[in-house]
Amino acid sequence: MNEDVIVTKNLSKTYGKGDLQVKALKETDITIKKGDYIAIIGPSGSGKSTLMNLIGCLDRPSSGKLYIDDTDVYKLKENELARIRREKIGFIFQKYNLIPTLTALENVMLSMGFAGVDSKSRIKKAKKLLDMVELSHRIEHKPSELSGGEQQRVAISRALGNNPTIVLGDEPTGNVDSKSGNKIMEILENINNKGETVIIVTHDPNIAKRASRILRIEDGVVREENV
Amino acid sequence: MFRDNFNLAYKNIKERLSRSVLTLLGISIGIMAIISLMGIGEGMNVAVEGELSSLSDTIIVSVGEGFSIFSPNLDDTGEYLTERDINDLERIPGVKEVNTQLTGMASLSFNGDENTIMTTITGMEIETMNIQYGLEDLYRGSILENGDQSKILIGYDVAYEYFDNDIQIGSRVKINGKKFFVNGIFSKQGMGGVSTNDDLLLLTSRDFQKTTGESNIFIATVSVYDVTEVESMALEIERTINENHGEDDFASATSMSSILDSVQNIMGILQTVLIAIASIALVVASIGIMNTMLTSVMERTREIGIMKAIGGTNKDVMSIFIIEGLLLSLIGGASGIILGIIGSTGVAAALSNMGPGGGGMPLEPVITFTAIALGLSVSMIVGILSSIYPAWKAAKMSPIEAVRYE
Repeated sequence: MNEDVIVTKNLSKTYGKGDLQVKALKETDITIKKGDYIAIIGPSGSGKSTLMNLIGCLDRPSSGKLYIDDTDVYKLKENELARIRREKIGFIFQKYNLIPTLTALENVMLSMGFAGVDSKSRIKKAKKLLDMVELSHRIEHKPSELSGGEQQRVAISRALGNNPTIVLGDEPTGNVDSKSGNKIMEILENINNKGETVIIVTHDPNIAKRASRILRIEDGVVREENV
Repeated sequence: MFRDNFNLAYKNIKERLSRSVLTLLGISIGIMAIISLMGIGEGMNVAVEGELSSLSDTIIVSVGEGFSIFSPNLDDTGEYLTERDINDLERIPGVKEVNTQLTGMASLSFNGDENTIMTTITGMEIETMNIQYGLEDLYRGSILENGDQSKILIGYDVAYEYFDNDIQIGSRVKINGKKFFVNGIFSKQGMGGVSTNDDLLLLTSRDFQKTTGESNIFIATVSVYDVTEVESMALEIERTINENHGEDDFASATSMSSILDSVQNIMGILQTVLIAIASIALVVASIGIMNTMLTSVMERTREIGIMKAIGGTNKDVMSIFIIEGLLLSLIGGASGIILGIIGSTGVAAALSNMGPGGGGMPLEPVITFTAIALGLSVSMIVGILSSIYPAWKAAKMSPIEAVRYE
């Protein structure tokens, strides 16, 4: 079995048109293997989030290709791309991005619902995931009733709902205190230890150091840094 | 998945409760108007049908243009049916019975001669009277019987409005100077009925002739054996009388069923027009829903982005918003139906009490299953149609732009 989970070939992204063009990500070739724990670092505006959004299939590149599990994803139609996001990728945002009207449990169940998992299995799985992030006692709470750290742990549970191959965290500890941040990193590392590919964007060098590979981006150019 | 989308839509409506309530109020008012109009219209149909269909074997023969719902109380034209006409009518095969009604002007006084007014009086054979009126039509007193002389039945307004003092049962009044005792007073009818008894002065044919010296047959009521023949018999009757008088349009004969038809036609048109006007409220309501949904889509741009980022398809996003619009309009529709039922009962009560003295056609609104089904389906259609565009807008959002939206 091919161990390459993510392969990019000449992947680039340009924003704007004409004189206002900004090349946020220059032609990039990277290969990420199953079980990799990768930190993407770099200064603000360097293209970290652009790369993350492209790998997460949230955005389309200006040129180049992205293979996820050997599928050329940007050849896919919108709905097939949604399927890739649903089945292969678990996204964790800096600002948690939970649905404010839903409880913690319902938020975790949502992505499984999109995947067509039946209601009973979803409740069971969501409870298990919330238990894993030590939030069993908060499942009926809405996001507004949870702390930042707790919300992020709900978001992690949500990201894991459909057993994704890749977990993407865009500054997952960026909005929480260091204690909560530490806890979140421990959870992500546990997930990685179970064989999942974890990719996080961070500008905290201490967090980056915990990863097995570091990709540094500067002015849209990606290069591997020795750990 | 439907349950999840429903849950999301429901929670969103709950979250923005006051806006949701205002939006569904629009639908609610539109549906309420339609349901109550249909209820009242159907109620009127039933009432008129009830009043007229028992007379389906009856043909009304009158001088002039005829009896219609536009002029239920005929003008005295000075021309009358003759005894010969009546005899000829009785000889037409298929005629069961001919009853006549005499009409003329007379002076009425009560409590002394200075209180005298000119009014129309009506004479009938006792048998005819008993067919047309019963004890249930009376407010006070009793109806006339065979052999009764110098006794009259009077309308509610005659008793209580015409003179300074109320006329009572047993009161003595003078018609053309002749004494009569009031035997009965009709109940108040008001404006709602097809014809009104409120101004009636009813006496026997014999007393009518004694008092006025005339036997002006104004209306003859013909009943026939075979209800299915009623229309052709009406033509036959008209021809017979016109031949007698040598004029093409001396008299007219109108069957009750043709009156019923025209009443129903007019009410049908009226109802359609009113419902069309009420539908404008629904158009406004649907714009309201669309506006609310568009606002909701804008406010929830980020949420839409999240849903797409975690794997929701365009279809998923669209269905969430359509379900939300549908839910809003269905709640609005259902409450509109309830309000419509309450409203039509209120309007019916008001119509029943309209007119001086609180009389009127007793009106019960009839809410049919069709009306309710129509109300619900119209609100569903309005809900779906007005949320398609906002939902489509939501579904078309790029996930990355939506997630970044602040």
